[in-house]
Amino acid sequence: MDQSTLPLQIDSYLDRLKQRFNESPDLIQKVFHIKGQEVVIHFISYQIKKDRLERELLEPLTKSEKPWSVHDLQNKIPLASSQTVSSIEKIAELIIHGNVVVYFPGEKEAVAFLLPQQQVRALERAETESLVFGPQIAFTESLVTNLNIIRWRLDVDDLVVEKLIVGERIKSEIRIVYLKSIANDENVDTMRQRIKDLKVAEVEDTSVLGQLIEDSSSSIFPQLINTELPDRFCNSISKGRVGVLVDKSPTALIGPMTLFSFFESTEDLYMRWNMGTFIRLLRFIAMAFSIILTPMYVAALTYHYEIIPTSLLVSLGQSRAMVPFPPVLEALLLEMLIELLREAGARLPTKVGQTMGIVGGIVLGQAAVKAGFTSNILIIIIALSALASFTAPSYLMGTAIRIIRFPMIILAGAWGLIGIMFALSFIVIHLLKQKSLGRPYLAPIYPFQWKDINDSLIRLPFQKNNARPLNVMPKDTERHDPNKAAEKKDVDPS
Amino acid sequence: MNTNLIIKPDKTVEAFYLFFIVHTLQIGAGLMGVPRVIFIESGTDSWIAILLAGIYLHFVAWIMILILRKYDNADIIGIQCDVFGRWLGKTMGIVYVIYFFFILLSVIKNYIEVVQVFIFPEIPVWLMSGFLLSLMIYALLGGFRVVVGTSFIFFLLTIWIVITISKPITYMDWDHFTPIFQTGTLDQLKGAYKTAYSVLGLEILFFVYPYIKNKQKVALPVHAGLAFTTFLILLVTVVSIGYFSPEQLKQTVWATLSLFKIISYPIVERFDFIAIALWMMVIIPNIVLFGWALIQSLKRLFQLPEKSSLYVVAILLFLASILIEYRVHINQLTDWTSSLGFWLVFVYPVILYPIVLIRKRFRKENTP
Repeated sequence: MDQSTLPLQIDSYLDRLKQRFNESPDLIQKVFHIKGQEVVIHFISYQIKKDRLERELLEPLTKSEKPWSVHDLQNKIPLASSQTVSSIEKIAELIIHGNVVVYFPGEKEAVAFLLPQQQVRALERAETESLVFGPQIAFTESLVTNLNIIRWRLDVDDLVVEKLIVGERIKSEIRIVYLKSIANDENVDTMRQRIKDLKVAEVEDTSVLGQLIEDSSSSIFPQLINTELPDRFCNSISKGRVGVLVDKSPTALIGPMTLFSFFESTEDLYMRWNMGTFIRLLRFIAMAFSIILTPMYVAALTYHYEIIPTSLLVSLGQSRAMVPFPPVLEALLLEMLIELLREAGARLPTKVGQTMGIVGGIVLGQAAVKAGFTSNILIIIIALSALASFTAPSYLMGTAIRIIRFPMIILAGAWGLIGIMFALSFIVIHLLKQKSLGRPYLAPIYPFQWKDINDSLIRLPFQKNNARPLNVMPKDTERHDPNKAAEKKDVDPS
Repeated sequence: MNTNLIIKPDKTVEAFYLFFIVHTLQIGAGLMGVPRVIFIESGTDSWIAILLAGIYLHFVAWIMILILRKYDNADIIGIQCDVFGRWLGKTMGIVYVIYFFFILLSVIKNYIEVVQVFIFPEIPVWLMSGFLLSLMIYALLGGFRVVVGTSFIFFLLTIWIVITISKPITYMDWDHFTPIFQTGTLDQLKGAYKTAYSVLGLEILFFVYPYIKNKQKVALPVHAGLAFTTFLILLVTVVSIGYFSPEQLKQTVWATLSLFKIISYPIVERFDFIAIALWMMVIIPNIVLFGWALIQSLKRLFQLPEKSSLYVVAILLFLASILIEYRVHINQLTDWTSSLGFWLVFVYPVILYPIVLIRKRFRKENTP
């Protein structure tokens, strides 16, 4: 007979479970004798709520007048979640997940009651994608909490939450979230298929899942957005995108995305439209600056003195007179310094990080100029472009932009403006080739969608921009009737 | 070989993009030097020569669309084989392939020379052609949609240069246009003929037509693209004639680029450096689209796999661009491609159309 399926006698049942848990001291087993009947209870002490165990399970169990049967156990114990199991493996799995398993030796089935105790942190403010105003809460590590927030924000029965399990060794629970009447079926199918096809031992985090299912893993540009903001997540879902949540991860994944959506912040929506548009455009300009400024400096100073205006050339020459290095080396040195500051600041505890910023930024920068390591002007340029790269609302995109600068500086140092143009052309063609869940990455510029410009490059008033992004091919493209929304009915002054 | 192509819907593009395909392909290496070339032939009345060329351009486009509409979803390779039979048709296809190869070579060589003359005397030729060809390969590996996207995006990224021409306009001397109507008809036609090199690219319509989603709307974007090209050539020529003195213009090889020398901004002293570097983005759609047409023709003619023929063509172009060393040879190459292009693009469709008509009628009578 198979040794791991019930029914088993009491001794072999206890042995098997002990072996299953490698004789772990955490597995607690209790044998009760109730009205001449043997009852075995197993649980892990720190995975369950002990007070509930005593009050809601042990008390009724021990105070019964007649012997228990499996059927009675399921029906008469006032606990909502119970199930029957009949194999040792399944019993072990349930115990790990916070169940209390009750078994009457010799029976065909054991009963598991779910009494879990999870360590969760309270809802906190968003840290990496902070907003000045607008909703402040962020996702937490608990999938249940996150789903709770999403259900609360999108309280319609149209919301579909699909459950998938990924990971061959360590299983992770994954939820695909979308609105049934809006999200394009093809997008949902693509997302589901890619997650289902994964053959990996484990999925550590949402960002890892994102990298596993992205269209192109060789590209530096992220193709799916990782966000910790429930409002951003829900806003994307309501526009017809597909979201993914992974248990134990404080971020969510959204797709399909475009390059421009990485520069959108939900704050643009909360602000008045003209402010939102201005700030959004500012970010695009900042990105362009961030990529081009330092390479241009290097190219101009190495090869093309002619393009620098005479008045500027004098002060540039003066500040560079002491510098012994070629511009490429100078720029790479300083860029590296900024990256070091950023990385050290990210690793250090917050309190020390503050000091380090001052020491690194101000003291080192001043000293570098005084010592004749770099020119003043380059420090300004590098600081500006570093600042510009931090304006990207998506941390991954900001990092991508900062990293792109390094090959561009080297190309500019080697072949001047031609090197820069080559790099820029390469980036543009590269972006043209990218896709997100099979949808074009550079939309709404290419393929050109006039209606999508309203809420991607700029942001028009809500009355005017009533279309959901056509790039994600929503089933329902209109959010509201633009004419109705614009109507202003004053109270009749009669 | 099938006359008509079967294209999957996810590979087709809207007719709207034809404007950019046709226009970006026409504007390229030619525009850099076109004012002088026309001026030498037609003198002060060059603008008439350009307008003549422009009108003829529209006529050819009209004929081309008429030819294409006789078939369901055919490109020129299929049409030629249908009209002339297998062998002659394939030979004509090879003529196209050779033409594409040489025009690619001449575009690359011309641009490299401009870069060497204006901003970077010591930049090696192999490096420049390596840059351009690697971008071509990279874009072509992405398929037809990326090719169209390249022409569209690079158009948007470079079209603003036109605005900077407002500065030289203020220095124009209108006396350079007098006396008016003094050039003979022959010289006018010669000037129009010389415009040919800078307006080559219309033939792409013969190749992309099967890939267009809404074929009934083809005419408008094509004609708009042609009109815009004509306008740009007219603009730079008129400004060049007004800006340079006649003797000076005859000696300025790249008059358009020399116009940029005067432009300066508070942050950029010499705009021509930026403009010429940026011209790479004007050149890339040229190379990518011609390269696509070349690879596409090879595939249609000999069923060659796209990837391997792409690599072989790129290597051949690379070697050829290194081997041609002297300005004289580049000029010769440009002249050859220019005249080959003239016959192939501007004369051939006009001859082809009656033949297609006769062939179709002949066939109709034979197959009741």
